[in-house]
Amino acid sequence: MNTIDNSTSRISDNELILYFYRDGLTPERMAEIDNALFAQPELRQRYTELQRMLHEIDCAPAFEPDAVFTQRVWQGLASRIDAEPLPSRTRRSWLAEWIARLAPARIIVTVFTLAFAVAIGFYAGRHGTAPSDDAAQAHAASTRVLDAYVADHLRATEGLLLTAVNTDSNELNAGNRELAAALVQSNRLYALAAARSGNARLADFLRQIEPVLLEVANQPADAPIESREGLREYLRKTDLLFQVRATQARVDAANRHRT
Amino acid sequence: MTMAAKQEEHWVDAARRGDRAAFRRLVEAHACALFTVCARITRDAALAEDAVQEALFNAYRHLADFDGRSAFKTWLHRIAVNAALEQLRRRHRDEICGSDLGESEDEEDFLLSRVAEIPSPGQEARGAEIRRRVDAELARMTLTERTAFVMRHAEGQSLKDISQALSLNISACKQAIFRAVRKLRGALQPLR
Repeated sequence: MNTIDNSTSRISDNELILYFYRDGLTPERMAEIDNALFAQPELRQRYTELQRMLHEIDCAPAFEPDAVFTQRVWQGLASRIDAEPLPSRTRRSWLAEWIARLAPARIIVTVFTLAFAVAIGFYAGRHGTAPSDDAAQAHAASTRVLDAYVADHLRATEGLLLTAVNTDSNELNAGNRELAAALVQSNRLYALAAARSGNARLADFLRQIEPVLLEVANQPADAPIESREGLREYLRKTDLLFQVRATQARVDAANRHRT
Repeated sequence: MTMAAKQEEHWVDAARRGDRAAFRRLVEAHACALFTVCARITRDAALAEDAVQEALFNAYRHLADFDGRSAFKTWLHRIAVNAALEQLRRRHRDEICGSDLGESEDEEDFLLSRVAEIPSPGQEARGAEIRRRVDAELARMTLTERTAFVMRHAEGQSLKDISQALSLNISACKQAIFRAVRKLRGALQPLR
């Protein structure tokens, strides 16, 4: 840390970066830095260096699209838009929202539906290498059901992890613990169902999430800040949150493709 | 509101009602800018093009969710950033857990470690090397660092918008930007 004088030493390079972008500092702090820059040559030198460096970065080559880029993009989009007309999507989105509000009832339905899906998968697996059309259709239907519920489960997991990462509120953390405990149960069920339906990748991923859900579920109410930091650090390093989103998008896409 | 903004609002309304031509206008107005931001994040033209395709398709599907609280461009760029991240996650998964493992987040200053003089003509001639290093360092950063930095520095988006786009809190966004600037500084310092 630089120690030219007391006020300069309190203005860190990180603050100079925020000052450069005119973002993330209070107006009072901005004014203090303004004054310090005027009064202190050393601070001015540091700021000049930052400006120069960021200017050099601006000179880095930018990617430019080719001349027919927009036309190509539109051609690709047009066919997809035609394949999925707008009004039906709007209805589905409204319906999905309505269903989402029935969360407690849905958990019960989920358990029964998945039990059914697991049973179908199990039955199809046990009865010969060339299942009948009926069995194949039942298997496809159970996969669609499973995917829909897993995508929903991953959305809930994502919300849970975001809360775990972003909040220090005891109230929110208490709610998060309860949610995590509920998600642990459904996570095991989905992992089992995914394994049964032959989706080993999804099953592995769900098993990978379980320790984190357990960690959140079992975090004591008076957990010290360090223990929360440990979880945050783990999530940041492993990018588990990104993986949850990616898996959710993949499951959604696969389900859309099947329907 | 400017004429262009009014026109865009009209296109958005029409596109929401299923007007294909209006949505095409929006695509034509924004596709190139979206490509630039996606390419800055992915560092790959093909991935960026895929990301733009996905972003625009997602935007079309969720036009009803656009509530006008932010500018349409901001909303669209946020979708594009996520689409670019998704492309990278699909194709370069290893990169995600990249180089910030064990990264120190200390507050120690770095700018005064070597205060630059006015560049000499010889230094100016090394502009190409500077650009190469910047490009390489951006490619080496973690996705979060690069995306936060690109959104703040190149896109001029606020920390608040970046935090929403990346689902991070403001403090985590700031830290990502600080780390990015620090790394760029480290990459450029040997040239001083």
